[in-house]
Amino acid sequence: MSGYIKIDNVRKVFRKDDRDTVAIENISLEIGKNELVSILGPSGCGKTTVLRMIAGLVEPSGGEILVDGNKVTGPGPDRGMVFQDFALFPWRSVWKNVEFGLEVAGMPKAQRDEKVERYLEIVGLTDFADARVHELSGGMKQRVGIARAMVNNPKVVLMDEPFGSLDAQTRNIMQAGLIKILDKTDQTIVFVTHSVDEAVFLSDRIVILTKRPATIKEIINIPWPRPRDRASPEFTALRKRILTELEKENVMN
Amino acid sequence: MRIKYDNENKLHRFGRYILISAVSLLVLLYVWWMVSIILGTPAIPAPPRVWDAFIHLLNHGDVVTGYSMWDHIVASLKRFAIAFVIAFAVAVPLGLLIGMSKTLDDFTRPILEVLRPIAPIAWAPVLVFAIDRTWGPILVVFIGIFFPLLTNTVFGVKKIESNLMDASRTLGANKAQTFYKVMFPCTVPYIMNGIKIGLGIGWMCIIAAEMVAPYGGGLGYFISMHAFNGSWPYVFVGIILISILGLLTIGLAERAHKIIAKRTGME
Repeated sequence: MSGYIKIDNVRKVFRKDDRDTVAIENISLEIGKNELVSILGPSGCGKTTVLRMIAGLVEPSGGEILVDGNKVTGPGPDRGMVFQDFALFPWRSVWKNVEFGLEVAGMPKAQRDEKVERYLEIVGLTDFADARVHELSGGMKQRVGIARAMVNNPKVVLMDEPFGSLDAQTRNIMQAGLIKILDKTDQTIVFVTHSVDEAVFLSDRIVILTKRPATIKEIINIPWPRPRDRASPEFTALRKRILTELEKENVMN
Repeated sequence: MRIKYDNENKLHRFGRYILISAVSLLVLLYVWWMVSIILGTPAIPAPPRVWDAFIHLLNHGDVVTGYSMWDHIVASLKRFAIAFVIAFAVAVPLGLLIGMSKTLDDFTRPILEVLRPIAPIAWAPVLVFAIDRTWGPILVVFIGIFFPLLTNTVFGVKKIESNLMDASRTLGANKAQTFYKVMFPCTVPYIMNGIKIGLGIGWMCIIAAEMVAPYGGGLGYFISMHAFNGSWPYVFVGIILISILGLLTIGLAERAHKIIAKRTGME
């Protein structure tokens, strides 16, 4: 597995009121190009912090992160991010939300239009181009969030519990939709989630973190093709095994 | 059928609102009239005398000062508008900066806290003497609008969801782009709120300032001149004009706020 994203001995210490809390203790992980890797772990273990460090929004206290050979020193359009609460710009239409990254990159209007149109089509929101964010359902909002991140054609898409605030049914639809989108693009995805089911359904690999201070507990390869059958015995068995692992982490609290 | 019922209901509600408002204003008029009769002082004239004064003012202008009624209104509105523009140009950028920088916030806080409780009109004599009779009153209004506008802008910046800033940065926006494409739109509803509060305070300041520094027309000037001469019905015309113009100004700001909130999708 070539290390397209290389997390090298990364540590994160948060300092609050002169007290240090070690959130992440020496994590090393390599993620290959085109891979979809999920990060699972008990609540508050620092999954999101790992993602934010790759994004460049949080600086590691030790170690370094390389993306395609370049050290991460801050946020950049080569690493798109999808947020749990969508983080859409409410004063912009759906179209203008998706256009944001191209706009700040200074891309000419004609090219922007073409790209926005294509990505709205990919996420199935062509008819809602002029809609306001508050007029959309949760699932539609997150499709805007995904299109907005993808339109920049980033090398890496970081997804921070992207379907966490959606109801179970919408969540399943979005997962199936994400798989379809991934077929059409070639991004590397790092996916943080609470849902074991979601992780098993989507991932090439699952990284399980321990409770705080987080280290890597286990990495599970899932070589099955997608879309996957949730009812199959191997799916159920794997889900159960991971749940048991996670429960151990919680019990030890 | 359903729609018709709803429409009728709406019409009914509107009619009820108009009726109650009319009765409410009539009660106010009645109380005024009674007070003027009971006290019998010339300083509180009965409504018909004020009406006569108003008609006279419309037809013949203000014989005491030599201005027309419209001159006085325009003079006040002009000072008010200039003060508003300056206050906006200073308070909004400053508020955005203070909101972004903790050091600047900590530094300016004591200064602002010390200055804030001072009624703007207290500065009028100082400013009129130190600068002049034209700019003194304008600066009083400036102070009145400045503080609520600044505080609300700072508050707006602090209320920005950090996720929106993160989204902007991960989409490749640099600091300047994040500033005017994300931070500024986020604070607009708070700035509008500051404007509404500021206009209310500013309108009170302009009248007071014109009474302290009576010069070059204006409703405050008009009132103080007529009070000095004992022409009380004219004083009351001035008072009523202040109310009407104040209502219009704030109504306008209210309306602008609603439109902007709708357009920005941040109601």
